[in-house]
Amino acid sequence: MKEGFRQSMAWLHTWSGLLVGWVLFLVFAAGTAAYFRDEITLWMKPELHALPHAPVAQAQAAERAVQFLQQRGADSPRWFISMPTGREPLVGVLWTKPAPPAGAAPAGERPRRARFENASLDPATGDTAHAPRATRGGDFFYRLHFDLHYMPAIWARWIVGFSAMFMLVAIVSGIVTHKRIFKDFFTFRGKKGQRSWLDAHNVTAVLALPYHLMITYTGLITLMFLYMPWGPQAAYKDRGGEQAFFAEVFPGGGRDRFQAAGEKAPLAPIAPMLAQASAHWGGAAAGRITVHHPNDANAVVAITRAEGPRLSYDQPSMQFNGATGALIATYGDVPQAAAETRGVLYGLHVGRFANPLLRALFFLSGLAGCVMVATGLLLWAVKERQKYAKVLRKGGRIGFGLRLVDGLNLGAVAGLPAAMAAFFWANRLLPVGLAERAAAEIRWFFIVWGALAVLALLRPTLRMWQAQLGLGALLFMLLPVLNAFTTTHSHLGATLRHGPGAVAGLDLVAIALGLGLASAVWFVERKRRKTLALKHAAKAPAPRTPGEPEALSQGLATSGHQP
Amino acid sequence: MNTPTFFTLAFTASLSGFCALGLAMDRHFEDVFGRGREPGRWRRWLQLAGTVLLCVSLAASLRAAGSSIGWVLWFGVLTAAALIVVAFLSYAPRRTPWLGLVSALAALGGLPFTFVS
Repeated sequence: MKEGFRQSMAWLHTWSGLLVGWVLFLVFAAGTAAYFRDEITLWMKPELHALPHAPVAQAQAAERAVQFLQQRGADSPRWFISMPTGREPLVGVLWTKPAPPAGAAPAGERPRRARFENASLDPATGDTAHAPRATRGGDFFYRLHFDLHYMPAIWARWIVGFSAMFMLVAIVSGIVTHKRIFKDFFTFRGKKGQRSWLDAHNVTAVLALPYHLMITYTGLITLMFLYMPWGPQAAYKDRGGEQAFFAEVFPGGGRDRFQAAGEKAPLAPIAPMLAQASAHWGGAAAGRITVHHPNDANAVVAITRAEGPRLSYDQPSMQFNGATGALIATYGDVPQAAAETRGVLYGLHVGRFANPLLRALFFLSGLAGCVMVATGLLLWAVKERQKYAKVLRKGGRIGFGLRLVDGLNLGAVAGLPAAMAAFFWANRLLPVGLAERAAAEIRWFFIVWGALAVLALLRPTLRMWQAQLGLGALLFMLLPVLNAFTTTHSHLGATLRHGPGAVAGLDLVAIALGLGLASAVWFVERKRRKTLALKHAAKAPAPRTPGEPEALSQGLATSGHQP
Repeated sequence: MNTPTFFTLAFTASLSGFCALGLAMDRHFEDVFGRGREPGRWRRWLQLAGTVLLCVSLAASLRAAGSSIGWVLWFGVLTAAALIVVAFLSYAPRRTPWLGLVSALAALGGLPFTFVS
């Protein structure tokens, strides 16, 4: 009975992992990159790297932002200001365009969602003179992680959530299946075919197991109100529905309860409000400022505390009367237990609390997750191929399913890194003034990935593995070289000496990733030579040593045309 | 005492701790010291030292990042250290005791500061 349970868990592990493995690899890779979301964004805006990095007082930065918004969006219903941080040197401003008067919209056209305009301001001067090139930067990987692309976000979130649930099943069933977790804790046996793949899968899974469990579970938590809305729906049925629930759990949020009076009133100075909020939070800085109905008698200024070294994602906030500057209310100083639990789990997932070192450790565990998913996918193909050992020896062909998995594995595991590198190359090579430039960068990511995936499905051979891994290796290793040729202040020679450190760090990580991919190319080359030698040996009437036929069947995808 | 020092202590302590725990296992002991050798009565001491060093690593992590984020830091440090020990045991088994010794000395040097200050 015990054996039966373990076998059924092994079956569950195999199929729950394989079915969603390719999506998971994308989610893991994009999520791992998103830990350095702000750093990637900074790297992709080389116009900002030569800016002086003297910290600017919060009050000054906020006042400059308000001045700018008074000029550009005085009649806007809502302003959003994000204050500069150590990771993001500029002030981000976003404002809603005023809605057209009722009846102005052409007949038959439904009123679309509010349209936004945004700008990045120099915190010291408040002007946009250093406007960087248009790019999505690290936000692209962040969104790709759960919104995918080229599809409605809700669909994508359901797909990603479905995959994450399978991942959780695969982790738990994998722990049951493994049974030698502590005996094989440090075990990696190289050059042993299937054994080595299994060891690599086990080591990357077990050594980062706390991370894998945490990240999968908290990932589901981040979107829990999408996946399981029924609790609040039932409990708040007669009390205003889900909106009432959110207003109660996350007080201070929501925007529908702010109504404009329609009477003009000048906006009170922002600096005293900032000072009051900061004093209330024991000197902590402000992170976001939202102004509802600026220049109206009912204006409300909401200030949210900056992210700091605290696990929870939810930050306390304060609201001020925009006309008088008087405090209206404070929120979240003593968070409710349930909201705080979710806030901590959410915070653990996104890791915004982490300093650079801890962030690097998250990144390392994320890479271990990528390797775990990749080796798991390859392991399925390696095992499946053994079933075809006899057929292959007679010159037959492998089945459609294995060939499909081979192609998908190649396109995902080898193709995705190359596409991610191509995204960075597009950032430096596309003309700065190009129309729809941010979208063009993303298009290049998908063009490269799509082309590589098609090639992978057409010819899933060891040669193709080498070509795609090699392309990724070259693109990553040469990224600092490209950077040196296309920028003046952003190459390693400048950034290692004068900073910004984040830009130098990205170049160095790119070299390391390139070297990792290059060693994978070398590994495949060894495998290919071994396979070739074995084929020659099999043709020649030489006495066969035991073990050879198995060796033929082990290793990476070789579904291509068997001679 | 500042955070980088505590972090270094957490890292070296977990590195040496995992070296000790690995060497306490028959398979890795053979890889390192030759076929047929067994840890014998060393096993208990290696396991004890490994456990103590991992506890030191936890204490240093909590000092480095506080009592909540410290746990997150500890798990991250453990993962990084264990991956390094696996690489050593697989590709340079004979150097593993040296890795353990050097990192243990570094950890012991920083140990007094974890509980004082």
